[in-house]
Amino acid sequence: MNKIKMFFSSLIKKDSTKTVVTSLWCALIGLLLGFVILLCINAKDAAYGMSSVLGNFLIFKTPTDRWNYFGQTLAKTAPLIAMSLSILVSYKCGLFNLGASGQYSIAVLVISFLGYGANLPWWIVMILAMLAASLWALISGVLKAFFNVNEVISGIMLNWIALYLVNGILTSSPSVWDSSHSEAQRITSESNAFIPSIGLDKLFSGNQIVGLGMILILVVVAIIYILFKKTTIGYEIKATGLNGDAANYAGINKVKNILIVTAISGALAGLAASLNIQNGFTSWRLSSAVPSIGFQGISAAFLGGLHPIGIVFSSFFIQHITDGGSMITDLGFAPEVASIMTSVIIYLSGFVAFALQVIHKNEIKAELEKLSRDKEVKQ
Amino acid sequence: MIIVLSTITFLLAYVCILTITALGGMFSEKSGTVALALEGCMTIGALCAGIVMHLLPDSMPNGLAALIVILVALISGGLYSLLLAVASITFKANQTLAGTALNILSTALAVVLIKQVTKSEALPVGQSRLNYTRFYEIFNVSFFGIKDVKFNWLILIVLALIPIVYFVIYKSKYGLRLASCGENPSSADSVGINVAKTRYIGILLSGILAGFGGLFLLSTSAEWEFANGANGIGFLALAVLIFGQWKPLYIFLGAFIFSLFKTLSVVYPSINFLANLGISSYFYLALPYIVCLVVLVFTSKKNTGPKALGTPYDKGKR
Repeated sequence: MNKIKMFFSSLIKKDSTKTVVTSLWCALIGLLLGFVILLCINAKDAAYGMSSVLGNFLIFKTPTDRWNYFGQTLAKTAPLIAMSLSILVSYKCGLFNLGASGQYSIAVLVISFLGYGANLPWWIVMILAMLAASLWALISGVLKAFFNVNEVISGIMLNWIALYLVNGILTSSPSVWDSSHSEAQRITSESNAFIPSIGLDKLFSGNQIVGLGMILILVVVAIIYILFKKTTIGYEIKATGLNGDAANYAGINKVKNILIVTAISGALAGLAASLNIQNGFTSWRLSSAVPSIGFQGISAAFLGGLHPIGIVFSSFFIQHITDGGSMITDLGFAPEVASIMTSVIIYLSGFVAFALQVIHKNEIKAELEKLSRDKEVKQ
Repeated sequence: MIIVLSTITFLLAYVCILTITALGGMFSEKSGTVALALEGCMTIGALCAGIVMHLLPDSMPNGLAALIVILVALISGGLYSLLLAVASITFKANQTLAGTALNILSTALAVVLIKQVTKSEALPVGQSRLNYTRFYEIFNVSFFGIKDVKFNWLILIVLALIPIVYFVIYKSKYGLRLASCGENPSSADSVGINVAKTRYIGILLSGILAGFGGLFLLSTSAEWEFANGANGIGFLALAVLIFGQWKPLYIFLGAFIFSLFKTLSVVYPSINFLANLGISSYFYLALPYIVCLVVLVFTSKKNTGPKALGTPYDKGKR
């Protein structure tokens, strides 16, 4: 009994637990604010709207539908996890990968041509897409490492360049462009480039977009976790991120680490594209705005406390309320209400470090008070 | 002749939008806070101005209506930027993160609110367009009596503001304090400058100017699609700020180069020589960003930015 008690008290004192608790507070406040906005727009339907956002697949009546949409949310979570990992990896090195959307776009371009056009096997397409995204990310990395160009700015510029590049190439290639829907041709389940379902679809009412991708992404999460927990290179990356000059002085090659990190985070953004497109769920839509998935990745990465395992849950949460948000259009609400909630959550998650500091200070204070009290009693 | 004049007014308008927004960003960055939320402040400025345009009665005199709209843009941009100030100064949050959050929030808010305002028009899903022809005509007047050439008189306001900003930054007490908070907040604090207050004012000014930039952007056309926020102009302004090396005159020059290429993407079909090249229109759209990237390569090597940029001020580290 005592042991269990001790386990829980040590769990509460752990920093990771505190991060989780403060993140949950952020999520709660974000959701509450979203509810207030729904109330302002339409007070009558606000409660039902909120329950759709929070319930997502649960609002369907039959179990078949529920499992089907649950599978869909899970399958869409996989690319978001990849995107958050991309942000996480670069952030560990002190870089902010705001160019993830551009890397994603380039990967989509490759997938459209090699996956739909050339009908190559799915894993070859996936690897080449990751490679292309990685090379695109390296533009930013090289500019940062050798020319001291701020990676945030170059990332933003490269996002727009990639957007127009992909728009321009795809719209002028009739073989892969579906002009009647103004989107790229989707990969169908018969295609070689389709990520196989390996029977997982049967668990989710035959929803074929659920498949190997979900298992793959969990493996990648584990790899990233091990990279930063156990390997030398992971340690070096973190050291560069904490203090680049000190790390350099200690013999860690800063330039090399910046290049490695941008390459990895680019590849992860490419993986996100592959997991999003190669299950036939969606494709490139003609748009004048940069794909939003890169920014969603930032939300999930920070809400997940910049921890690979935290990211799995935060990504699911964000995808869950985003999908839920898309269900409230019938009630006259804009689906962007969910986007308001997530952005408020990221905004608040910036306060987590501060909150932890305050908690820490209070703890020390309490400890000191206790010590001085004990002293008085003894005297 | 008409084409040339329209091109020049278009060019001037973009130069002014980028300059005023980048100058706003300069106040924020000189104080030591990354101005990533410029895009968000522009969107919010444009959004609030747009909603007010939609709600003001037609019977109101044009001059008064324009004044109200301008004030709304300034105030809303300023208030929105305070969110960044609270996060980055009081709560010492990561500035890039807070800025990104505010950018996403601004677009989401814009879409939700515009849909709410234009409910009766039943827009298709995924669109949140606002039409404000009356105000387009208020802000764009005929040019020397030539009917087809419209001149946006907000340009004049910006041109008047540039020397004022120059004076505030280089000659006023506040400007010097601002710079000291961005360069070395510890020593600024040690001589009695309130770092937090100075930074708050810097960010507030950046929001106000960005809000004005947002309204200006809105006034360049008769309708606006809010799903795209400020169309990335806020990010471009940030880039202009960096390769303008945080100096007002260079910023103006940078904005000019940029706008030149931006204008090219709009007018190239009417220039025979360029239209005959058969290059995709997307290339011209991407061109300003490509040029920006190239210029950044040449100007970034020597980092001349505020030294304390991006780091929250911690008294304990003094």
